[in-house]
Amino acid sequence: MSTAFAHPVTQGIVLATGAVLLLAALAIGAMTLLGRGTPAFRRELWLRYGSWLVLLPLMFGPVLLGRVWTIGAVTLLGLLCLGEFARATGLFREYLTTAVVALGIVAVGFAALDNWYRLFVALWPLTTVVILVATIPLDRPAGYIQRNALAIFAFMLLGVGLGHLGYMANDPGYRPLVLMLLAAVALNDVAAFTFGKLLGARLFGGRKLVPNTSPNKTVAGALGALCTTTALVAYLGSLIFAGTPMAHPALLLFLGVLVSVAGQCGDLMLSSIKRDIGIKDMGAALPGHGGIMDRFNSLLLVAPAVFHLINYVVGIGEGQPTRLITG
Amino acid sequence: MEWQFRPARDTEMSPVARLRSHAREVGLSGLVMQGAWRRGVRAYLRLFHRLEVVGRENLPATPPYVLIANHSSHLDALSLAAMLRGPASRRAFALAAGDTFFTSVGSSAFAAWAVNALPVWRRRTSAKDLNGLRQRLAEDELVFILFPEGTRSRSGAMGRFLPGIGALVAGGAVPVVPCYLEGAHAAWPAGRRWPRPGPLRLRIGPPLDFSATSDDKAGWMEVARRCEDAVRALSPPAPP
Repeated sequence: MSTAFAHPVTQGIVLATGAVLLLAALAIGAMTLLGRGTPAFRRELWLRYGSWLVLLPLMFGPVLLGRVWTIGAVTLLGLLCLGEFARATGLFREYLTTAVVALGIVAVGFAALDNWYRLFVALWPLTTVVILVATIPLDRPAGYIQRNALAIFAFMLLGVGLGHLGYMANDPGYRPLVLMLLAAVALNDVAAFTFGKLLGARLFGGRKLVPNTSPNKTVAGALGALCTTTALVAYLGSLIFAGTPMAHPALLLFLGVLVSVAGQCGDLMLSSIKRDIGIKDMGAALPGHGGIMDRFNSLLLVAPAVFHLINYVVGIGEGQPTRLITG
Repeated sequence: MEWQFRPARDTEMSPVARLRSHAREVGLSGLVMQGAWRRGVRAYLRLFHRLEVVGRENLPATPPYVLIANHSSHLDALSLAAMLRGPASRRAFALAAGDTFFTSVGSSAFAAWAVNALPVWRRRTSAKDLNGLRQRLAEDELVFILFPEGTRSRSGAMGRFLPGIGALVAGGAVPVVPCYLEGAHAAWPAGRRWPRPGPLRLRIGPPLDFSATSDDKAGWMEVARRCEDAVRALSPPAPP
């Protein structure tokens, strides 16, 4: 327990999250008591709130519990997202191809668990090769390009992209970093929504960001999120990386911009996928949110971008024992 | 170039709603679970019931088709599903009584994940539901396992066939394969908690074609009558 909460940033994020949850409950409770908003809107708010109450312990719990839990949870998240992605695109009807992608996600999780970086990296091209080769013996070339392109897309996002989040747990100081990313992408969404609602119609002539992809997102919302998230990440980053080359103000600002931009791009990427297919949500596993992938879309691009910046500047898991399982 | 983005019919349903939905499609995890269940049932039927299948050559080479049989035991649907092989076994849905198998989330999960059953609600399944099932049967190239008597025979003697099956096949290209399962009532009659060992013999008859039958009430009655005659013809001769 003392290790889990050793870093002040970890304590701060957990406390702040608890406080936000409490405030939200009070605010929605007050709305219910005073009869503000329509009953349908209040029900939607409580539904979302209930989902968060379940979701937050499932997100923060494994990170606080330790390395193995974190990597296990990220791998499971990847598999759950694959289930949604495959069902939404129709890839799930290709049982063999979907199974290869699922095995690829598990293998990336294993490489992270083993702290074997070379295998972790080697699995990206190798799984791609297996995806491309696996269905050749079926002698069914129709749709080969489309289904394998979809499979590689799924593996790159959910195996490789998310896998970076799990691999971060090999650094002894991963807890504040991973919690900061989880909190920052959530704040990024909230800030974009809030700035969009408050200023979206007044600033920049009410310009929409990419109206065909996501009609409700405004330029003001995107810039508001960029400023808020950059400030938060730069501040928390200065505490997490104090005394390392990463503590340089320019790098911290760059880290903040990276989290916000990659997070918003992840959101818009999923919007593009859903628009292309013609669906509203990737699933309905989380009442009030939609699918699991709808909730975690921002992390898909944030995790690899942040991992490689930090790995380049200060290294992730430097000096830690490697190949813990394979020896 | 035949790939199309075709989301699962149940994409935007919650996991619980999906269990009872006629739109439920089987994914990789469902395939693994149903495969394990099917192998277990096959081994059980071989070991405890020495299930014998006669007339396998009458099964169409590829789905879609509808398998029908006499109904006197829970072993009926298990035997029919277990004797299928290849893609037909993976695409087979048993149409099961909603008020027996889909009453709670737990029983629905078992019916959906292991047996791959779709609920039919006695007196509540609407024409829209039946049309939806008919459309899925053809479009997704499925196998439906159903018992036109509507309920298990308490005496073991075959009852009258209800015309509901007509709404699925009358005037369409999907064939109906009649089957007769012998021994199931003796092994596991309605009212008995668990089955007892005993031989099972499944006879499969030649497929029936209803493409020329009218898709209306008269046509459905005709479908039911012809199906009933075909299944009865497969039953063993009554002892003298």
